[in-house]
Order: sequence, then C-alpha cells, then structure tokens
Amino acid sequence: MENGRYFLYPSTLLVCKRPAWITTILGSCVAVCLYDPVMKIGGMNHYMLPYWNGEGLASPKYGNIAINKLIKEMVKNGSKRLNLVAKIFGGANVSQVNHSIYYINKRNISVSVNLLKEYSIPIVNSSTGGNKGRRIQFCTETGKVLQKFIK
Amino acid sequence: MYKISDDELLQELKMRFQENKKALDELQVLNEELKTANKKLEESEALKSHFIANIANEIRNPLASILGFASSILSADEKDWRDIMPMISHIYSEVFYLDFQFKNIFIAAKLEAGQIAPEICKIDIRSILLNLIESFKYEAEMKNISIVINNGADRKNSIYFKSDSEKLKLILSNLLSNAIKYSYKDSKIDINYKIKGKKMTISVQDYGEGISRANQKIIFDRFKRADSGINSLNRGHGLGLSVNKALLEILDGKIEVKTEMNKGTIFTILLPEATAEITGISGDDNEVIFNTSEDGDIF
Repeated sequence: MENGRYFLYPSTLLVCKRPAWITTILGSCVAVCLYDPVMKIGGMNHYMLPYWNGEGLASPKYGNIAINKLIKEMVKNGSKRLNLVAKIFGGANVSQVNHSIYYINKRNISVSVNLLKEYSIPIVNSSTGGNKGRRIQFCTETGKVLQKFIK
Repeated sequence: MYKISDDELLQELKMRFQENKKALDELQVLNEELKTANKKLEESEALKSHFIANIANEIRNPLASILGFASSILSADEKDWRDIMPMISHIYSEVFYLDFQFKNIFIAAKLEAGQIAPEICKIDIRSILLNLIESFKYEAEMKNISIVINNGADRKNSIYFKSDSEKLKLILSNLLSNAIKYSYKDSKIDINYKIKGKKMTISVQDYGEGISRANQKIIFDRFKRADSGINSLNRGHGLGLSVNKALLEILDGKIEVKTEMNKGTIFTILLPEATAEITGISGDDNEVIFNTSEDGDIF
C-alpha cells in the first residue's frame, strides 16, 4: 500500500478517489472494475462465488453482494450510476472439472453480466473465461486495465 | 445432405431429448438455488434490521453495571478501598466484555464492506494463548472453570508462526468465550495447539452442553445463536462464529466442529503459515491493454 498501489484480496472491494493502481490475481474468481469517466474515479471488487446463500457473513465473497456494494460505494464517492462503465475479468476454468453444474467460473461471469445489465451499466470491455489465471492492474484515474495471463 | 436411417434418426432424437432434459434439470437446480438464496437474503436482512434492537440489552446491561459501580466508587470513603477492589474488577470485566463484543461487531461490518486484508507478522503463539487465558480469567473463575493449554505451552521457548495476530486473537477469543459460555460449572477447557511444518492447528475443547444437530447447521450464519430464546442465560449477538469463519477464509484457514450433546464441543482451526507479504508490484510485464475511450479493440 504505497504510492497509491493496492493489492486487492479476495472477498474485498476498493474504491479510490485519488489516482491509484489496484492489482489483483484471479483464477475462477471474477473482478468487476467500475470506472466513472466524469469523476475520474474507479473501484474494483474480487468475488469468489456467484450468490450468497445465507451462510456466514454477507461479504463481498459473493458476486451479488460484491457488485451491489461496489456500485453503492461508487455512488457514495460521488459518482452517478448513469456515468459508470464496467470491465469484467477472470472466471477462468482453472480446475478443469467438466461437470456443468460445477462451472463456478461461468456462473461467476454470468452474475456480473446479468446484474450490470439490470443496473444498465455498460460493459465496455472484458476478458473472461479460458483456463488461465490472470493478473490485472486497474488504474482508477484513467480506467485503464493491464492484464497478464499467469500459469 | 446425407440420408440417415430411421434408427439413426431415433437415436439422434433420443440423444437430443436427453441433452435437453439434462439442461432443464440443471436449470431447475440453479433455479432452486436462486430461490433459497433469495429467501435467505430476505431472512438475514430482516435479522440485520433487528440487530440493534436485539443487542440493545447486550450493550445497556454492562453499561448500567459500570455506571452503578463507578458511582459507588465515587461516593466511597478512602478507607473502604478493600471494598472497592472487587467493584473495579467488575468494571474491568464488563468493559472487557463490551470491548470484545464491539470488536466483533465492527469487524463484521468491515468484512461485509470488503475492507479487510491480512496483515501478516510473526506471532508468538504461546504468549498469545497465555494472554488470552489471562484476559478471560475472570469469566472462567465465575464458573470455576480451569483452562489448560496442552502441548508444551509450559515450556519456556516460544513458538513463532507467521500470520495475522489481531485476527487470530479475535478468532481465539470467540472460541474461548463460547467455550466458557457453554461449559458446565466446575469443568475444564482444553486448548491444544500443534505446529507441523507450515500448518498450525489449535483446538478449544469444552465439556459442556454441546450443539444439537439442527443448530450445527446455523452456528456459522450471522445473527444466529444456538440459544436465542428469551430464557437464554448467555449473552451474545450471534456474530462470533460467522466472523471467525470469514476471518479464517481470509487467512486461507478452516474451522471444524465436533460436538456431542451433553458431552462437549471441540472447535478446531487449521491455519497455513502465511507466505511473504505481497508488496510492490511492477508494471512492466503486461501483454494486453484495455482502454475505455476506444471501443475495446485494443487486443
């Protein structure tokens, strides 16, 4: 956490008002980056499972909660929901299990696609699926995302 | 186009029907899952909105007794200092309890806001456990419970383990507080710990009432308590174990419970040693650049 560089752990989210780089590492998890080009602020979450089923805390470990909270947090920091644009990353099939019910990665991706559609936040770019993990870096000032595939 | 026989056609149709059925079944399963998720969400939100009302007594009762003792001390004579000491220890224990409960409440709020990250340092496990027992001494004494650490805690040498000390302390406090709460009078609590390579297990065992099968399913859910009835003797707000579970997930750990009615409960936490901290990130090795201004064609 130095010079506006943050590492985002799973089940957490971060919205930065000041210019910052947020980095995270994704396997089957999904990260949604929200960017507000008017305010020039951005935020990112990192969730592991699609829906909260009432177990444990209602934490941003779950897609539906993580996305709702990220939008709320952006609005709290002065963004208008209409201005927001989204980018989605992750959801790789890293475990190579081939039972479709266990496609956690695919369901993780579809949660974000569906919820963002519901909130009418356009997904301007995405890199999801595949079977390689990703390391992504998100610049909250410009909305730029750098991605590298990892083994 | 090539011709197929009736048999082949039947075969093909059968297969497609099967596939359809499978997809439909899956859809139904997912649907069910969504429905339960929705129900749980509503249920838990309702609990959340009653949370303050439910814990009002948990906060006001300790405050009332602190106020009472404090005013007695204020009006006491200097000569009565012998009578004052027990009052001060009562105040201490009430404040300790409040502080402990607030820690849980605030960390639960932080966890739900997604603002918790591990802060790794070297921990002296032995001294953490000893401090923990010391801080719960008063509550244990009230029920005449002896707390025993096994596995060489009496040895003088300390055992170091890399993890998040604040989180580990809260996790262990929750386990010990529960163990004391649900122990019978004049019993004991065993704390075992073991470090093997890069893994640590700590278990807290009480010989109390145990947890019923129905309650075992809900103890890790937020705001749920095994004995939330109006006649419940124990205080609490039903956050401790859900906080524990979430904190352990952040530390890559696990929590397990073994219990038998009227015989007791063992909670065991399994924790891997944290690897070195992730600090600086270099930005020189990127393959793909995304940009909002252009319509996403920068692959």
